[in-house]
Amino acid sequence: MSILLYYNLRNLLARRLSTSLTLVVIAVMVFVLGILLSFAAGMQATLASTGSPLNIIVLKPGATAESTSIILPEEAAQLAQTPGLANDANGRPLLSRELCVQTDLPRRNAARSAANVAIRGVEEVAFVVHPEVRIVAGRPFQQGALELIAGQAAVGRFHGLEVGSRITIGRQSHRQYTVVGIFTAGGGALESEIWAPRTMLADSYQRQLSSSVLLRLRGPEFLPEALAYINGPSVQLTGKSETAYYDDLASTTREVILLTTVLIGIMAVGAVFAVANTMYAAVDGRRRELAMLRAIGFRRVAIMAALLSESLLLSLVACVAGCLAAAAFSGLRQDFLSNYTWTVLAFELRMTSGVVAACVGLAVVVGVAGALAPGVRAARVNVLEALRKA
Amino acid sequence: MRRGLGVKAGAEVNLRLAYLLRNLSRNPLRSGLTCAAVALPITIFVLSVAVVDGIDRFLDNSSRQLRLAVTHRASLVNPLPSGYRLKIESLDRSRSEITSVCGMGWLGGTIENDPRLLSTLSVDADSFPATFPEYLQSPDELAAWQRDRQAIVIGRGTAAQFGWKVGDRITIRASVPPYAAMPFHVVSTADQAVDPVTNFCRRDYVVEELKKAGYGDDHVSFFFVKCSTKEALDRYRRAIDALFANSPDQTLTQDEKAFMSQFITQQFDLPRNLTILASVTVFVAVMAAMNTMSMSFRDRLSEYAALKAMGFRGTTILLIVQSESLLLCGLGGLVGAAGPYVAFTWTPLSAYTVPLIQTLEIAPAVCGQALGISLLIGLLAAVWPSWAVVRLRVVEALRSLE
Repeated sequence: MSILLYYNLRNLLARRLSTSLTLVVIAVMVFVLGILLSFAAGMQATLASTGSPLNIIVLKPGATAESTSIILPEEAAQLAQTPGLANDANGRPLLSRELCVQTDLPRRNAARSAANVAIRGVEEVAFVVHPEVRIVAGRPFQQGALELIAGQAAVGRFHGLEVGSRITIGRQSHRQYTVVGIFTAGGGALESEIWAPRTMLADSYQRQLSSSVLLRLRGPEFLPEALAYINGPSVQLTGKSETAYYDDLASTTREVILLTTVLIGIMAVGAVFAVANTMYAAVDGRRRELAMLRAIGFRRVAIMAALLSESLLLSLVACVAGCLAAAAFSGLRQDFLSNYTWTVLAFELRMTSGVVAACVGLAVVVGVAGALAPGVRAARVNVLEALRKA
Repeated sequence: MRRGLGVKAGAEVNLRLAYLLRNLSRNPLRSGLTCAAVALPITIFVLSVAVVDGIDRFLDNSSRQLRLAVTHRASLVNPLPSGYRLKIESLDRSRSEITSVCGMGWLGGTIENDPRLLSTLSVDADSFPATFPEYLQSPDELAAWQRDRQAIVIGRGTAAQFGWKVGDRITIRASVPPYAAMPFHVVSTADQAVDPVTNFCRRDYVVEELKKAGYGDDHVSFFFVKCSTKEALDRYRRAIDALFANSPDQTLTQDEKAFMSQFITQQFDLPRNLTILASVTVFVAVMAAMNTMSMSFRDRLSEYAALKAMGFRGTTILLIVQSESLLLCGLGGLVGAAGPYVAFTWTPLSAYTVPLIQTLEIAPAVCGQALGISLLIGLLAAVWPSWAVVRLRVVEALRSLE
């Protein structure tokens, strides 16, 4: 086995230029695939880890996102009657009226370009409805104070959200809020947001009405009944399970994956040609060698296998290089402006095991596909003729 | 004598040509593979450039229109009082520099049982035609717009997507207050406009619906200010912000191009990322072509040595190697550039919509550029073989023959 591998390696090294060019082609292809897929994986992971199946998000019918929705106080009162609604320890319903507004913050890139960041105005109950939200630095804000807490992803992506710093938000740009804490939310979309006391935010933005209402159910079995009540004639609002809401937002991810598939498909065909070219050269330059191998008793299958493993060796080495290059970008913070919410979602590129598997899979496919035709030619070498030419 | 020389020269060219063609057809599979390996990346290149071009065209139009966009200073999504229109107009009472001011409100919109989001703006009905002269160009359309409160201008891409025609009655549910399902009357499909996506309806209609639903306040999302000259544009950009500097709702005034590009750069930074992608694919094409050229040359090393030994000059052989590479890559480039051009010009694919710019138009100039690049790839790919040909020592090459 080791001799065979060594033989393959030497064969690859015999045509340095051709081999290294093919290596680069495959590595670049794997790199692009790795980056695009980690992009999609990071976005997907962020949206997938947002939302609890116990939660219902209620919007105005017609509104496509929280930021364009308005829920009137009397509507919120009706929502308190939702069947299956959970109560906290003091017997109050777990119903969180939330106000979604936005502000421009500079990104942490060279251009410091402005991004539209979501600000959520909440009351104490929000921390019970969203139990995944945890303060990791500083302290929670106090109701009635000009204080806010920032999600960890937002802190990593935008300027001026460190604990202790002050930012100006609000419609009239005369209110300075102090950042008092940083929170995580299980890696979900809420980590791209800023949270502040709802009453203060309502005053600063002159928006007294809340945008959305979040309800927490006692158990997932109440979901159909609760949704029927909210969407039904007595309330006439649009309720969605929180997981379904964020799943809809993830539709952009599917577009990215589709685009990736098309682009990589085209590049992969090019890479297969490069591999095939290299392997053809390997076969043509070795006709006599191959004939000799056949003459001393190696079967056609063995020769094809040798060629195949040579091609696989080449593409896997390239795959490792491409993956390593792509992995260097893993963890890079990006943000994306959702065309549903018009706010940015900050996320990290994630080189997941699935992404690596896709890269290796593609490299193997390219390696095998590229070696097939040359392999057949190698197996068909006419022993007598090839040896006679010696 | 002279005639004899001419014949000889002609024969030599013929010989070269024949040799070239025989070389290409000697290993048709490899030639085909190389062609395809150039063609496919060139296709990606053409498509990426087409998208970036579409964005550029869009932004260029924006800068030509001499319009200012006035938004809320704190954030684009904060509303401005609709009364600001009068104050902006009062900056130039003669109306010689500020031609018109149009307030616009975001309406968004969806239609029944369809997840697709519409991009609809409600606009001041009286000043819209003057501020956006690229819309409502025909007198009939203009008359319909002025007469009918439920008039709506549908972007041509959107119209194609939903199958709407002038004269259609449609119902759009607003994504913002009043959230009502509102009937509209299509008066134009904006065939001359650069933006194929956005729809425009009359703001007086929306305000009326707002009042009916009990949402009292009258606000707009932004104003567009049409100026007569470039100088006026620059001057009023600062003047408008100065006017509202001490008011509760401060403004941010940008020219239309800056206003539009903030949307584009926020979504994936599309132009930059596509340019990177296009360069990477071209790089892949160069690598693949270089691979083939170096290989086919290696195969023929002894032949070139023989040719040299027979007295052909190095430059002649160099020419053969170069033209073979150019021909192969040029052919690949031609196929790669013509493919998307044909696909997006004459097939049903031309109705395919890309986010933001909607329709993908492949300009012949881009195809020409792609062809140029593929020829450049051909030149590059033959560099190493050419260099080797010139350096080739006949004796050594022949000796190493098997």
